Amino acid sequence: MSRVTDPHTYKRRRVLAAGLALSAVGGFTALRYGERLTAGAGQVQGYTSEAPRLSGNDKDAAASAGKSHRLTTKHAATHYNNAYEFGWDKTDPFRRSADFTLSPWSVTFDGLCHRPGTFDIDELMGMPFSHLEERVYDFRCVEAWSMVIPYNGRPLRDIIKVVEPMGAARYVAFTSVYRPDELPGQASAFSTLEWPYVEALTLEEAVHPLTFATFGVYGDRHLPQNGLPFRITVPWKYGFKSPKFIVRITFTKDRPNATWHRENPSEYGWYSNVYPSISHPRWSQATERRIWGDGDIERIPSRPFNGYAEQVAHLYPGSKQQYR
Amino acid sequence: MKRFAIHALLSVPGVLLICGWQTDQLGVDPEKTVIWETGIWTFNLLITVFVLPVIARWARWSTLLRYRRAVGLWVFAYASAHLVSFLTFLLGWDITRLSEEVTERPYVLAGFSAWLILLTMALTSTRWWMRRLGRWWKRLHTMVYVVLGLAAVHYLLMIRSDWAWPVTYAVCAVTLLAMRLVQRRQVIVRSN
Repeated sequence: MSRVTDPHTYKRRRVLAAGLALSAVGGFTALRYGERLTAGAGQVQGYTSEAPRLSGNDKDAAASAGKSHRLTTKHAATHYNNAYEFGWDKTDPFRRSADFTLSPWSVTFDGLCHRPGTFDIDELMGMPFSHLEERVYDFRCVEAWSMVIPYNGRPLRDIIKVVEPMGAARYVAFTSVYRPDELPGQASAFSTLEWPYVEALTLEEAVHPLTFATFGVYGDRHLPQNGLPFRITVPWKYGFKSPKFIVRITFTKDRPNATWHRENPSEYGWYSNVYPSISHPRWSQATERRIWGDGDIERIPSRPFNGYAEQVAHLYPGSKQQYR
Repeated sequence: MKRFAIHALLSVPGVLLICGWQTDQLGVDPEKTVIWETGIWTFNLLITVFVLPVIARWARWSTLLRYRRAVGLWVFAYASAHLVSFLTFLLGWDITRLSEEVTERPYVLAGFSAWLILLTMALTSTRWWMRRLGRWWKRLHTMVYVVLGLAAVHYLLMIRSDWAWPVTYAVCAVTLLAMRLVQRRQVIVRSN
């Protein structure tokens, strides 16, 4: 190695070092903020052709559950989503979903049922979209934030009835769509999740009247960031138990695995009911941040079963630890 | 003047965050944005603290070392903003819950310990303390390596499924720690 380096070399090195520092800052900024700064232009961020409406049904449902009618704004509920199919950041779903093919869409029913088959989404709705029931549910994410969202759909039990599950069927598995070319999260080299996404419920949970086959939110069918065109909403569980972009529903005798549960069983229980008293290794579940709108956030105490204890607590006899 | 420029430069991410907060530019959940961005800039400046002496040696640019303390104090400033936003937005200043958070959630334990070390370092960063502590001052401030390690662990524990960013930072931290160890060995070998 050279012992003596002439002053010229050091001067060059200083310039080089300054240049490297600048490009490090530039590279970091581009990688971390670039996509977020350039997003928005020329994107379809949810149609508003069908205005949100509060139907009679919804008022009854909300009144019976003792809910207030204040809703989270549609903008907040459609621009802050967890859909790892699009990416891990909560702005990824609305930014990266413009090219997602919503139609045609069909769902296959198989496993332990008497009338398996593949149905088009219109058949599943069974009525024009505008005739679907609207229900306002509290949505509670495992990350301790929540929203109040109007969902359009029908009870899942009405659909399950049609395919006639066999007596031996005890569980229902929901498989989400696998399209790495349209879903960058599925193509990502940095994600450890196994695709496609699979979630599951007990048959008893799946046919509970609160379990809602969802085809729209805020009267809008065109919001892939919210898991449309077809998802299930299970309001007393953490949000990841409400699978999105469903293409297959399978009735089984044995308990199916579920994506987040398989990823980290100690953090994401199979049942994942909302229990404020059971602490999560990542997030205390005692309180939640209720997001009402962009920057309009209120910290409120969380409730057992996300406030739906009266309707669902009987499904879970014994120690709640086994249903975490 | 130069010193002022350095401080102004280091305050830029914080100023941008405050401006963004005031003008509703931080997205649907500005609370989360503030928590994440103050955290990431704590880490960025922490790495800078370690890179400065490397460049200073390589390019014989000892002036850089004079600004190490300024950068270090800004690391403490961003770390404090990170902690305060966590306490405000996630705990609502429910201090009884802080003990629960520290004992039950390893990432909080790592982050909080790192902040306590930074606090001690910030408090003893004056010339007066330097004189008073003598060679203990150097030992105390070597703890910044522990801070770097804790920060890397803190971020790694945040991984849910996507590991690109936390692992990149951890690799930077390990590289800087390794460089320091190699350098120390060289010094020891030479002095023998």
